[in-house]
Order: sequence, then structure tokens, then C-alpha cells
Amino acid sequence: MTDWESVQESPEFTELRRRLRVFVFPMTALFLLWYLLYVLLADYAHGFMSTKLFGNITVGLVFGLLQFVSTFVITGLYVRYANRRLDPVADEIRARVEAEPGR
Amino acid sequence: MQLNPWALTGIVLVAVVTPYLGHRSSRSATSTHDFLVARRTVRSRRNAAAISGEYLSAASFLGIAGIVLKDGADALWFPIGFTAGYLALMLFVAAPLRRSGAYTLPDFVEMRLGSKGLRRFSTAFVVFIGILYMAPQLQGAGLTLATVLPVPAWAGAIAVMIVVAFNVIAGGMRAITVIQAFQYWLKLFAISVPAFVLCMVFFAGGGPDGFRPLGAAAPPVFTSDTTVDVQTDVTLQVKTDTFLYAYGRTDNGPAAGPTHWTPLAPHTVSEGTKLKFLAGTPVPVVSDSVADNANWLHPGSGSLTDLLQTYSLMFATFLGTMGLPHVLVRFYTNPDGKAARRTTVHVLLLLGLFYLFPTLLGALSRMYVPELLVTGKTDAAILQLPSAMLPGVGGQILGAVTAAGAFAAFLSSTSGLLVSVAGVVSTDLLPGRVRDFRVATVLVALLPIALAVGLRPEDISLSIGLTFALAASTFSPLLLLGIWWRKLSWPGALAGMFVGGGLVLIALVVNVVSGYTGGWAPWFVNQPALITVPAAFVTTYLVSRVTGYGRPEHVHDIMLRLHAPDPLGFMRDRAVARFGQAEEKTRLPGRGRHRK
Repeated sequence: MTDWESVQESPEFTELRRRLRVFVFPMTALFLLWYLLYVLLADYAHGFMSTKLFGNITVGLVFGLLQFVSTFVITGLYVRYANRRLDPVADEIRARVEAEPGR
Repeated sequence: MQLNPWALTGIVLVAVVTPYLGHRSSRSATSTHDFLVARRTVRSRRNAAAISGEYLSAASFLGIAGIVLKDGADALWFPIGFTAGYLALMLFVAAPLRRSGAYTLPDFVEMRLGSKGLRRFSTAFVVFIGILYMAPQLQGAGLTLATVLPVPAWAGAIAVMIVVAFNVIAGGMRAITVIQAFQYWLKLFAISVPAFVLCMVFFAGGGPDGFRPLGAAAPPVFTSDTTVDVQTDVTLQVKTDTFLYAYGRTDNGPAAGPTHWTPLAPHTVSEGTKLKFLAGTPVPVVSDSVADNANWLHPGSGSLTDLLQTYSLMFATFLGTMGLPHVLVRFYTNPDGKAARRTTVHVLLLLGLFYLFPTLLGALSRMYVPELLVTGKTDAAILQLPSAMLPGVGGQILGAVTAAGAFAAFLSSTSGLLVSVAGVVSTDLLPGRVRDFRVATVLVALLPIALAVGLRPEDISLSIGLTFALAASTFSPLLLLGIWWRKLSWPGALAGMFVGGGLVLIALVVNVVSGYTGGWAPWFVNQPALITVPAAFVTTYLVSRVTGYGRPEHVHDIMLRLHAPDPLGFMRDRAVARFGQAEEKTRLPGRGRHRK
């Protein structure tokens, strides 16, 4: 219980928090921007969005489907990031805590 | 509606197999702990199927196709928002929340802010959200049953609630997990098979009346002589001069024969009127839907109101998902934060896969069941499409499959909600024994029935939108700020929930009143999240700033526990305090906190 503070102050933990924030917040901003932009285009760039690519398939519909794709891509990136950049640091901290006497 | 024996068989099968599975897997459920969180041993893939099964409600199964039929590409927002909500949940909330060791939202509130009063307040909102979310499910069930059987709509609502309540009482959450996973696959089957078959029919030459183009500027057209029975008062609009036969009351006068509608003004049609259209007549549509196909095909209509309304909806779904009690409670069944993350990935894939199909079916409905635009019952699109495209036994069987799938949707989301709301009620308002959980289940089941039977059935997805807005305006500030900002204080959280939740509830009441008195309410009453969510966040922030005394003493320890990596073992179960023995009993060998 008492080593919680020491863990919290450790550079590894700070680094872990930083890495998480560095990924999560810009990624969310990017996603929201792309999401809001789509709606904006849909409402104000009619000509562009209803450009027909083939048959009844318009740019607008393709962009709509790309919204789904971007959700999946971000999910995939996050999991990869978590496995490669977050978990190793977490393991390091754990190893350090367990090596300490009295626990 | 005519009796469809196949559909009845399908529905009965779903209604029987569900409790059977529940019963078979519930024999071992004995303690409160078992009931509520399924011993935290549920595997992540099955858990993901269960989460998806629970999440794909009536709004997803019937509502999306209905809205696509009515509003066209605008409706893409719903499925996009429903999946994006999971992204937000995964990035910000899933792992820290799992590590907090809390079972329910009120548990998290107490753990993070240490205030009993705030806990009770948030319990109230969990109950509100749950009940509001259940009511449209039950209305959807009523609609489905009324489509395949000559029974009134309320019968379906009550039937579903009885099956669900029985099931929840018999097995609790463990049983529910198996059922939900089963129901996800059932729903996917029930929507993908008809979608594939109907698409093949479409490309092979297009059903009974040949191929129909969708990109034309004209409104959809009746392809054969069609008689429509108007069952509730509707206001219709036409794009061109339209000739039809009306028997009953239209435009506030009696009608009994040929009549002529102009596009200049909308036309009112009273309940009980029969409208007869000859083949080739353009289809009149309910006055709030998109009238011509070209407009229908691309999203947005260029007005500022539409833009704001769409943003508002996106806000609600993006932030609301994390505040839905039945979604959160599922994450507690993951063994650790890492599993919570893995589960979310599976969920996103499963949801994305599913949402392809209702969108597709909605587009087909625009071509084949345009008469639903006249009656406004667009939510029945998926149910009626198969028999419209494939007359005969084939269509009936496909119709049965979709009806059974829709029924599975009501059963699964209703039972998920019932479990989580009853769980909160029994641990917070009652002493929290197994018997109390059962009492709570019955009590909680009664309210949504009253709402579903008492209120006007609006479009299923729209009323779900309001529920998301409520969740986004109450719990998302609490969760996001609670996890990421250490200066959150309990008076701040209380004020934020009060303002956000209060505004949405006011909007809800105004919306219902306006629905009965001519629909005068402006857009933000229908879709208030764009205003209420920022209001809740700002209130929470400002009040927390000035009430430093309301921060918990050990805020550093708490934040460490939320953000520390799982293997550290800081994750302590609240259950140890509350259900100590149960926790010890259920800890599996080889799952100690330092073993991974």
C-alpha cells in the first residue's frame, strides 16, 4: 500500500501515462475532425458529395463507408500501440515493484 | 395484418430456446456475485459477442432500416455513431474502469469521489436511462408481433417483458452472457441471410415487378395497384399532382372516391381512412421524411438546422455509449483491463459487420415497400420487405427469419438492461441479497411496460437517440473527468449531472407534449446533446474548481489504481468488501494477482 506513492512518482509511471496520453488524445482529435468534416461536406459541398463514381455510388456514400473503416483502423492502431508501447513499460514497473522487499 | 405461421414459429422458437439456454447454464449460479458479474471468468470473444448481442437492440435491427427507408443517406449517422461510441469507450474508459473494480456506475462514482449522496443520485439516472431504453424495445416488440399476428401492439410488449423477467430471475448474468452471445449470432444470421437472398433477387431482375432505379429525381412510385389502410393520423406530402382514391376523412373533410392532391400544401389523413393508388402513382410520404429519391441518396440537405441536428446526434452516440448501464456492466466481466481492450476490438468488428445489412435492407425497402412511407410505419420495413420482394412461401420464410431476429433483438437488449438496472436497484436501494435482486427485477420490469403501452410509438431510432443524449449528458462527463482529471469534486459531478440530465429530461417531456400537439418543438428538443453535453461538462468543471473541499482525500491512490497497469495488482475488487466470501470462493486456481 505504501509503495503506491513511490510507484506514482517513478519515471516509468510518468512515462506510461505520457505515452497513453500522447496516443489517445491526438487520435481522438483526428477522428472527431474527420467525423465532423464529413457532416460539413455532406451539408455544404453537395456538388462534390454527389459526384457519381459508378452507378448510384456517390462520393458521399464512399466517405460514409470510410467512416466505418477509420473506426476500425484506429482501433487496430490503438491495440498495436498498447501491446508494443504500453505493456512493456507496465511490465517494467511491475518487475520493479515485485523486486522491492516487504511486498 | 395476415397471419404468418412461419414467423410465429420462429418467434416462439426464439422465446423458448432463450430461457432453455438460460436455465441450462444457470444451475451453478448461487451467490449475488455470480448473478451480477458472472464471476469475471467470461472469455473475451464470447464476451464480445455478448456485448454486441446486447447492444444490437430494436434500434439497430428495425430502426436503422426504417430510418434509411425514410431519410436515406442521412441515416448513416446512426450506425456510424453507434460504432464510434465504442471507440470512445475503448480509448478513454474501458481499461481504467475495469481496474477500478467497481461493478456499476454508482459503484464507480462512490469509489472515485467517495460520496454516498452522489451515488444515490447517479443510481436514479441509471434507472432512468435503463427504463427509457427499454420502452422503445418493447414498442418494437409490439410492432413485430402485430405485423405477423392479429394481436394489438401492447400484447407483444408484455410478452417480451414476461419472457425476459422470467429469464433474468432464473439465471442472472451468467445465463445472460451465454444467451447474449447466442443472440448476436442469431441476429447476424437473421439479418444477413435475408439481405443476401433479397440482393440476389434484386440483381437477378428485381422481384415481382422488375428492376427499379433508385437515382431518379422522382419520388418512388407504386408499381402495382395498392390500397393502404391508415391506422394513425398522418400528414402526407406529394411532389407532383397526384390522383388517388380516398375513403374516410382527408384534409378535414369526408372523402369517398377519386381525389386530387397538389404539392402546394401537406394533406392530412385521419385514422381509419383507406387510400387506393393505381400503378404508376408517385408515393406520397409522411411530411417529415425525404420525398424524392435523388435527395434521399446523398446525406444532408444543406440547412444549418440539419447540420446541427446531425452534430448533436453524433455527440450523443459518441459519448453516450460509455454511459449506458448495460454496456458498462459487461466490461466488468472481463478478467482485467487488457481483456477489456481485447473485448472492445472484437465488439467493433462484430458491430461493423452487422450494420452493413440493415443499411442494405433499408435501401431495398425504398424500392419495394414504399407504402410504409404513407403509413409512417417505416420501422416495419425489414419485416415486410421479404414478402414484398418474394411473394409465396420463400418470402414468408425469410420474413419469419427476420421476425425471429427482431424478437431476439428485443429479448437480448431488454434482458441486458433489466439485469443491470435491477442489479443497481437491488444493491443500492435494497439490501442486495439474491431475493432482493428478484424483487427488483419485477419492480423494474413494470415501469417500461407502462411507458411502452402508454406513449405514442415514435420512430424507434429517434427515441433511442434521446436515451443516448441522456447518457452522454450525465455519465460521460463523470467518467471522462473522473478518470482523466484529478480535480473533479463531488459537488462538481453532482451539479454537472443535475444540469445535463435535467435539461435532457425537460427536452424529453417537451418532445412528448409537442408530439401530441402538432410537433412544434424545434430541432434541439429532439436531439439535445449538442447543448446539454457541453453544459454538463462546463458545469462539472466550474463547480469542481470552486469546491476543492469536495475532492476525495486519497485522490492520488485512486488515480493510480485507475491508471496503473493491470499486472501491478492494484486492482482490488469492491466485491471483497461487499461479497467477501463469494469472491474467495470464485477465485479460480492459477489466477492469482501476480500470475498472468
